Amino acid sequence: MRRILSVDDSTSIRQMVSFTLGKAGYEVVEAVDGKDGLDKAGAGKFDLIITDLNMPNMDGIQMMTAVRKLPGYAFTPILMLTTESQAEKKAAGRQAGATGWIVKPFNADQLITVIQKLVK
Amino acid sequence: MSIATKIDVAGPLKKATGELQALAITTETEIGAVARTFEGLAGYADTIMLLAAAIVECVENESVRSVLPKVQALGAAARQFMEERLQATAGILETVTKEVNVLGELSRVTQGQAAIAIETKALSVLTNIEVAHLGDVGAGFQYLARELAGFSKSVTDDIQELARHTEVRRTAIEDTRRVLSDELPCLRESVARIEVDLANALATVESSLTQLSGAPAQFRSGVEDIARQIAGAVTAIQTHDITRQQIEHVQEGFALIAAGMCGDEYSSDGDDQALPRAYAGLTIQMYQLRTIKETVANWASQIRTCMGGILKVSASDMVGIGPMVLEQERNASSQLAQIERLERESQAYSERIQGTLGGLSSLMQLVGEHLQKSKSVRHRLQLLTFNSIIEASHLGTQAHVILAIAKSIKGVSADWGQITDQSGNAMQELMVLVKHANELMEAFSEAASEKLREAQVQTRTSLENLRTAAAFAAQQAQEMKVATGRMQDKIAKVGSTGDQLDACFDRFDVVLTEVEEVRRQLEMDDPGVKQRYDPDEMEQLFSASYTTEMEREVLRAALRGKALPVAQQTVAGNSVELF
Repeated sequence: MRRILSVDDSTSIRQMVSFTLGKAGYEVVEAVDGKDGLDKAGAGKFDLIITDLNMPNMDGIQMMTAVRKLPGYAFTPILMLTTESQAEKKAAGRQAGATGWIVKPFNADQLITVIQKLVK
Repeated sequence: MSIATKIDVAGPLKKATGELQALAITTETEIGAVARTFEGLAGYADTIMLLAAAIVECVENESVRSVLPKVQALGAAARQFMEERLQATAGILETVTKEVNVLGELSRVTQGQAAIAIETKALSVLTNIEVAHLGDVGAGFQYLARELAGFSKSVTDDIQELARHTEVRRTAIEDTRRVLSDELPCLRESVARIEVDLANALATVESSLTQLSGAPAQFRSGVEDIARQIAGAVTAIQTHDITRQQIEHVQEGFALIAAGMCGDEYSSDGDDQALPRAYAGLTIQMYQLRTIKETVANWASQIRTCMGGILKVSASDMVGIGPMVLEQERNASSQLAQIERLERESQAYSERIQGTLGGLSSLMQLVGEHLQKSKSVRHRLQLLTFNSIIEASHLGTQAHVILAIAKSIKGVSADWGQITDQSGNAMQELMVLVKHANELMEAFSEAASEKLREAQVQTRTSLENLRTAAAFAAQQAQEMKVATGRMQDKIAKVGSTGDQLDACFDRFDVVLTEVEEVRRQLEMDDPGVKQRYDPDEMEQLFSASYTTEMEREVLRAALRGKALPVAQQTVAGNSVELF
């Protein structure tokens, strides 16, 4: 079963990501902030990471930059799930290694379709 | 501006911040509960859809779909079965009617033969008298007298037997004609009734099947509906997180305003800019709060609507499929039972007819034997005639009486010949009747019933499958009802959570009132305060922490005195943008 890491300081967002992707047959592991996300990514192997941008302790960009340096994560798809929609923020995310950008709230069906393509 | 004004701003803003904090904690808890409830709801919806899918699969199964053509085939076979028997019965009635005519002819034959028997008896007596009169000369004619006597007795016996049998047969035929005449109208009525009953049964089955055929499409529509509602609920629950952040930004805005009024941050501008900044900031936060309030109302309403929609789709017409299928089975079974009863009655009836026609064959056999005897007698009479004429001619004038007797015998022989021909004709007619009757009886044979029996077997099997399908559908529907009941309990919990959320967000008005009061006081202190702030500077100051485009739009509308932007409600959510 494919594993997905969901990183967000919002309980309701993590719940909805887990619910949506769990129904689609993925195993979802939750992290409450960037640091927690980084620790979990290092401890296990994930096929895809979905992360918020603005989080306490470590934001999404910082976490993503650190994750890309971990063994086996150079090409792992990482999707940013955030309320931010400004072009500069997207550019920063792309620069840091993001595979895609989703402005909250996400479309459940479309998210599953994209993940199915990214994680084969 | 007085020092008292600065204190008045900080205090209410701190209180407002506290209110918003309490509100955020409460809503976080409630939304968590809503999300968990929703997950449970979605789980039940999945269960119900699986059960509905099983019902649809059952409905689409060949065994259910084949019921209509099987019942149609049964109807056609039953119709043909009854119509063939109807025609055969009419034919048999006609046959026995003709047989009555043949019996009439046979009666006339036997009467003619009886007269001849009497005449030959008289001739025998005359011959004996003449033989006695002729003495030794007439000894050669003794045999003639014996022959004539024997002939007379033999014919009499034969006639009596035929007459007796003919009379018995006549009685039997009359009885049969009466029965058949009574039976025909009943048969016609049965055929007409079968037509009507089968048409009704087919109409019911067709109607049920039409409804059933809509089940798969209805199910698929239901699945799509539920998927939409679930997507809507997922979106709405996520939107809470956005409003949580927006509330945090308002709290940050209040802190910034309070700091600007109380601290040294703006000391270089002095009181001149503190009030306009505070006024602008308060205006911005009020606009943000109104927008947040509207957004919250939208997503709370969406959650309620979506969860209600899930429940509505789940409690669907699928539940009624089991009873509908069972109704169909009952109708068809009733028709099958009726046809089976008709078949049994027809079997008993055909056995009676078989007996009747057996009598016809016996008659034909008897008449055949009689005819053979008649032909033999004819031959003998011809020989007698011939011999007696020759012997009489040898005697010359002494045998003139014998010659007269011989001539009488010749006349008798000619009459007998005619009567024998009549018997032959009657025999031919009987043969035709027997052949026709045998052909008619084919309609009552086992082979003729085979098609109906085959249709009955297939329909019976089909109905057993249908019964099984109905029982299965009913069982699934029962489980659906249980799951729907559980969903309703969960929906009720969401309802109470919704009420608590509504109560929480009523506190928005309290905060808005407090903030409006502070702003009004600022305006009272400095009536020109709203013209003295720089919108661009304020935008840069207060939007630093903003993360959503909506917040920026609201801020711009607040600073420029424009109408509040409409809070956009997205039901489906946003797509992924891949780099």
